[in-house]
Amino acid sequence: MSYAFYPGCVSRGGCPELYPSAVKVAGRLGLGLEELTDVGCNGAGVLSRAVSDPINARTFAKAEARGLTQLMTICSTCTGVMGGANLRLKEAPAYRERINREFLAEERLAYQGSVDVKHLLWLLVEDYGLDRLRAEVRRPLKGLRVSPFYGCYIRRPDGILEGKPARKRYLEMVIEALGAEVTDFGGKGKCCGFPVLTANEPNSMAMVAAHTGEAKSKGAECMVTPCPLCHLNLDGGQPRAAKMKGTAIDLPILHLPQLIGLALGFSAEELHLKRHIVPTRQVAEKVSLLT
Amino acid sequence: MELIFKVYRHDPTAGTKPALESYPVSLPDGATVLDGLLQIRDRHDGGLAFRAACGRGFCGECTLRINRSGKLACITRVAQVAKDGEVTVEPVRNITVLKDLVYDVDELLWQKIAWVEPWLRPATAQPDGGYVIPDAELEPIRKAMSCYYCGLCDEGCSVIPFDRRFSGPAALTKAFRVVFDPRDGAARERLKRLGEPRGMWDCVHCYEANEHCPRGIDPTDRIFDLRDKAVELGVKSGTANPQVARHYDSFAASVRQSGWLDEGRLALETWGLGRLGELLPMAWRALRRGKLPVPYLHRKRPGAEWIRRIFDKVEKRS
Ligand code: SF4
Repeated sequence: MSYAFYPGCVSRGGCPELYPSAVKVAGRLGLGLEELTDVGCNGAGVLSRAVSDPINARTFAKAEARGLTQLMTICSTCTGVMGGANLRLKEAPAYRERINREFLAEERLAYQGSVDVKHLLWLLVEDYGLDRLRAEVRRPLKGLRVSPFYGCYIRRPDGILEGKPARKRYLEMVIEALGAEVTDFGGKGKCCGFPVLTANEPNSMAMVAAHTGEAKSKGAECMVTPCPLCHLNLDGGQPRAAKMKGTAIDLPILHLPQLIGLALGFSAEELHLKRHIVPTRQVAEKVSLLT
Repeated sequence: MELIFKVYRHDPTAGTKPALESYPVSLPDGATVLDGLLQIRDRHDGGLAFRAACGRGFCGECTLRINRSGKLACITRVAQVAKDGEVTVEPVRNITVLKDLVYDVDELLWQKIAWVEPWLRPATAQPDGGYVIPDAELEPIRKAMSCYYCGLCDEGCSVIPFDRRFSGPAALTKAFRVVFDPRDGAARERLKRLGEPRGMWDCVHCYEANEHCPRGIDPTDRIFDLRDKAVELGVKSGTANPQVARHYDSFAASVRQSGWLDEGRLALETWGLGRLGELLPMAWRALRRGKLPVPYLHRKRPGAEWIRRIFDKVEKRS
């Protein structure tokens, strides 16, 4: 199956380590990706829906024009924002028609409502299959204690789960399929604080400190997230959060494709693990000792 | 059913510490958590304090934490929540407890609802014979009007545990209800106030509120409605947090110009030169890791002009 690939802005901006890691992992697993290069930022929950719904309808129409109905993201926020827009456009044909008429027609585009938005995480479990993933693992991450951190938008609101409540456990399932150990903690489904980094930095940093601190105290050696915006806050904000709290945290935060990539046998360099703010050296060393 | 209820007991005036007390209860199948509390008060301790009124899930009075999750005691069936024959009942989180399961609703809700000025400020004097509003015009706010102030959305809120001052989804839902009321004429002033710190921009839009609301009001979406309205009317922040408006404007400007987000530019334009001293060490750290997107060196996406046209059309319309 081919997927329209929507990499999002951050995977090549603030988290430039994510895009190449995802492409390498997808290549190794043989996911047929066709990157959409001529589409816009989905609005990330910042832009008003008056603007972002037409932008997203355009993205979906572009995928359809290439004969693709499955759209893969590598970001929880992209998934939630585009998935939410998609629901509105699919559920209300009159709304979709209005957007087609007002915004897309002059580019000779029209969204027919056939696209499904899927995070790489969902795609791996639902389409690719964990057994196949297990079979691709070259270096089981034995003994590595990993805490999952989802990012709000691939868990809530309910509609995003499309009737599959197990989506709230997929990260744990993938961590285990890679041979690593899940270090569960209460904050895994909570907000990372990134959305209020501008409006209320103290609240944002307090959330970072609470979640990374809790995972660390439970024994996690690293955290894995399918959301680069969570990554920006949990990794990039961690030194500030630790300072505000007056403690050291030092919990490396890995992107989902990086964790998968390590298990597939890619090196820390190939996955750009040095591009993180919180050093990932200990994780890289531990993994490099595994065969 | 024979069960153990573990109930939060605390009398702050007595100077004792809060504790979970265990009580045996014997209930028929289909009994609710409220039935259990009433039995404890009848059989074990007449001094157990809790709130309840309608007993049918209509009034929103008996919001409690039941087995660690916010629920209305009167419509929560014991059989559905009991774990290993036990049910734990506590007040909602992050709130001052007055006694046992009675907490300060004033602090949780009423003060916050007062802050959003939950009364109409009509644009015109009331016409003779009162306002006549066509049904369709009231439709968008009808659900929000059914809010019964149970506080479950605030109980599940991601922000309140970190900041009790945050106005919270219940009060912001009330704000939505008046901002979008066709009789109201003060949307701009209201949105300015709601845009101040502790208001709608402090919401992390985590959608917890949607999951917690028993009335299907989807409070997170109502907060998005408020924000979108604020953008439409050009009131993108309060007076005390101008960086919020700068953030929106910079975000929109870069997507409009190149089709995607220029994160370097966003940081610079949001914080301006005022925080340069603070931002530089962070920027240096990011630069050393090859993580810093250089502001303004941002290639246009193919087809970016179509994105710009979308912005133009939306602006023209509003
Ligand atoms: S919005 Fe829903 S959850 Fe919040 S107070 Fe009203 S009825 Fe309760």
